[in-house]
Amino acid sequence: MNWNRKFLRNLNVNVPLLVIALIIIGFLAISSAVEINHNSPGAMAFLKKQAVSIGLGLLVIFILQAFDYRIFKEYAAFIYVFMLLLLSSTLFLGRTVAGGKRWLSLGSFNLQTAELAKIMLVLVLAAVIDSYSDDMGYLKVMFLPSIIAFIPFCLVILQNDLGTALVLFFIYLIMLFAGGGNLKYMLILFGGGFLIVVLIIAAHLVIDTPLPYLQEYQLNRLIVFINPNIDPHGSGYNIIQSKIALGSGRVIGKGLFAGTQNQLNFLPEKHTDFIFSVIGEEFGFIGTFFVITLFLLLLWQFLKIAENARDRYGYLVVVGIMAMFLFHILENIGMTMGIMPITGIPLPFISYGGTFMLTSLIAVGVVININLRKKKLMF
Amino acid sequence: MDRHRLLKLLLLFIFTALIARAAYLQILNGDYYYQLSEGNRTSVRPINAPRGKIYDSRGEVIVSNRLTYNLYLMQNEIPPASSVKNILAKLASLSSLSENRLLSNLSSSAQQSVAEPVLLARHLQKKDMVIIAENKDILPGLLVKESSLRDYIYPEYLVHATGYIGEINRNELVSFTKQGYDYSGGDFVGKSGLEKEYEFYLDGKNGAEQIEVNSLGEKIKTIGIKQPISGDSLVLNVNFKLQKSAEEILQKNYQALRKAAAADEDRPMPTGAAAVVLNVKNGAVLAAASLPDYNLNLFAKGISNADYKKLINDPLRPMVNRYIMSAVPPGSIFKLVTGTAAMKELGVKGDTTFYDSNGRFYIPNWSRPFRNWNPYGEGKLDFIKSIARSNNIVFYELGYELYKEFKGEKLAEYAQKYGLGSKAGIDLPGEKSGLVPTDQWKKNNLDQGWYPGDSVNLSIGQGSLLTTPIQIADLIATVANEGKSYQPQLVDKIIDSQGNLVKDIKPLLNIDLSQEIDQNIFKTLKQGMHDVVNKNYGTAYRHFKKFPITVAGKTGTAQTSGSANHGWFGGFAPYQNPEIAVVVLIENSGSSAYSIPIAREIMAYYFGLRNYNNSAAKVYYYSQQEDIYQPE
Repeated sequence: MNWNRKFLRNLNVNVPLLVIALIIIGFLAISSAVEINHNSPGAMAFLKKQAVSIGLGLLVIFILQAFDYRIFKEYAAFIYVFMLLLLSSTLFLGRTVAGGKRWLSLGSFNLQTAELAKIMLVLVLAAVIDSYSDDMGYLKVMFLPSIIAFIPFCLVILQNDLGTALVLFFIYLIMLFAGGGNLKYMLILFGGGFLIVVLIIAAHLVIDTPLPYLQEYQLNRLIVFINPNIDPHGSGYNIIQSKIALGSGRVIGKGLFAGTQNQLNFLPEKHTDFIFSVIGEEFGFIGTFFVITLFLLLLWQFLKIAENARDRYGYLVVVGIMAMFLFHILENIGMTMGIMPITGIPLPFISYGGTFMLTSLIAVGVVININLRKKKLMF
Repeated sequence: MDRHRLLKLLLLFIFTALIARAAYLQILNGDYYYQLSEGNRTSVRPINAPRGKIYDSRGEVIVSNRLTYNLYLMQNEIPPASSVKNILAKLASLSSLSENRLLSNLSSSAQQSVAEPVLLARHLQKKDMVIIAENKDILPGLLVKESSLRDYIYPEYLVHATGYIGEINRNELVSFTKQGYDYSGGDFVGKSGLEKEYEFYLDGKNGAEQIEVNSLGEKIKTIGIKQPISGDSLVLNVNFKLQKSAEEILQKNYQALRKAAAADEDRPMPTGAAAVVLNVKNGAVLAAASLPDYNLNLFAKGISNADYKKLINDPLRPMVNRYIMSAVPPGSIFKLVTGTAAMKELGVKGDTTFYDSNGRFYIPNWSRPFRNWNPYGEGKLDFIKSIARSNNIVFYELGYELYKEFKGEKLAEYAQKYGLGSKAGIDLPGEKSGLVPTDQWKKNNLDQGWYPGDSVNLSIGQGSLLTTPIQIADLIATVANEGKSYQPQLVDKIIDSQGNLVKDIKPLLNIDLSQEIDQNIFKTLKQGMHDVVNKNYGTAYRHFKKFPITVAGKTGTAQTSGSANHGWFGGFAPYQNPEIAVVVLIENSGSSAYSIPIAREIMAYYFGLRNYNNSAAKVYYYSQQEDIYQPE
């Protein structure tokens, strides 16, 4: 135990306030998306499950404060092994849902292990990069964190969860950048890699070469992202309906429970992936502007907390968490507005979904932990 | 920390982009997406309104509507899993409907939103309706709705006046919409006749049921119903019994003449006929016939191209409504106009005497004589008798005198006073105004001056003068009424589907010469017309022998260049208190003598003279001269 009441003076209250505001908005939006106003069957169960996840998450935040975050650095190797075990056991023991094995049953609670892997990767990567931070300019030193990230990345790909894999990649990329990775090599590696991916896809589309690791439906999502009207009732349907929902909210929105796209089920996956479209339809631009701004303020606070972290490890952990949220926000909101391809990743604090809510709140708990133990001001 | 600042910039950049995109969708394009979301959630099912009916003056329905069924595609009522193409392919394979036809109707649809119906097929057959109903599950989004089809109780009568209907074309759609009327592609509209003239009354306002649908195309609830409003109905002045009889009389005579001509190549072949019966007291058109005609049922469901081409290319032009479109010289009927001008301008009286020595009239410095139809010379005759005899010599002289005093002006002016040269104003589209030649007209069109011969020719209704039967009916009515006539009207009033009056069409006095022209002048003309029919030397006497009602009239045989003469008769009855004017024209029949018995038969029917028979009324072959009368 490592607790000091003086820590509380360090608390950046903006973080819990912003998180609570987002959770409340999310709860309202989910209520509308599951049509609580129509007493539709199961609506209450959705809200209860979400409430339990939130409660559990808040509990974890409090418990986390009892430990010094540096304990994660000490046990990084242990965390890493645990993460790999969790991910690979899911591949063998997991439940198959929608074409992918992503869920591990723990009694009555189904755990999406890849969600937890995000925060675990942040804790492990921060430890590795921190240990070698002075030599990060060397290519062979950059190799270690890359391997560390690559293994869970592949396991998640094997779960058929491209979205989460991309989150892991983004976390790795930002942390490497913030940790002093050699920019020249990064540019060559990732720029080149991106180019190769584009070439492989282009080759598949033009001369029908086989496509490694990418399922046909994922490719379709990519194609309809470029032009949703190619298949308006099939793959393009989600994008079109989501844009209609958002746009039709205009400035002030149609009102809570009054979104026709939402309530008449034109919107797909509306309580999870497309929850932001519900907000846009029912609260208009005022709503979307408000939510996006709350997210910006929250991540801005994270960066401030990172600046004041007591050590480099703390800094890297907060930046990694910031990267995780940033990618989720960019990808999810961007997807609902038709500027990002569709991948099924949820909007933090708002989308329905227990494991990711838990992961998000754990992440917030870690950030608060680092915030509370920030470096002493020198007067 | 340089890289940390870059992270902050990245954060700002990403969030600015997201807000900008939200503003683009919700503020800049909000209204557009709002419309789309409204279009998404509604489906507008059509409710067709029937077109107004047409009644005759006795209240008999002559044009009505029959129930028929149309097939619509409601795109918003199709679940997302099914595609329109598959549904139509399935429909075509199950029913008698052709897939190509369905697809072309789909692609040519003018719907503005997917919420609106697409008309896939009209007039469904019973067995197809059963198939569609039985296969509802695999044929989602198809809707069968009642519609109406024009039902002509007498498809071969009153054809030209009724007119035909057809699918609205682009120009009509644009023009009607500009005028503020609510039309959409696929609607049937009047293309000719009363159907066209009264389109905006006859057309029903289609209603619609707007329903809310969910993403599976299932109906959630009805948002609203716009009730259809039936079109207004026309009540005609036409008495259909008289109409039917007049058409049959005209047809019988016209066909007899054509048959005789076919058998004897010396006889001219008539190319068309028209008859008009006007109520002189109010301008009501009691009957109006034009031959040849066509069957209105050809157009009820939309005419086929082949049928339409056949009608259009028929050399006898059955689509031409001859009583308003056949503009030909009136021949001697015009002597009523010449006579009016002579009495008013030259002081001629009923007893003014003239002398016809040898059936020839010469104008100075012109060697060729103008001839009377009777080559023998009729000696001394007064003005009234010259009308009864239709003596050209007298009217040549009057025409020449008018020329000497007024050049080409006066005669044309009187013709115009009687309404010639301008439309009679009957409530039908396409009426011709005919032509009254003047000095100015001749100068502009033929680049020639007005010669005395022009006036002399015009005086007996020849030359460039062109008149339609409806104009001549107006002329006869004006004389019968001693200076007044009313605009010819087919429609008496317009009523709504409940029978309430929408518009009462009042008689419209459109010619009134009673102030400027002395009543005695009209009395003299009427006396002449009376003698045409009732004096044994009158040109129509033989045909009206023992006719129980006193009739007055004027014959006219108009020469044409190159083909046989047109035969005219215009009369009114009873003489003492005129009720009706009857005009008959047979194109290229050779003589007015064939038109007179037709007018008599129509009058006999009108006055209820069912047993009247005149053996003298047999159709003889007359010479192609003027109104030949052989003294008995």
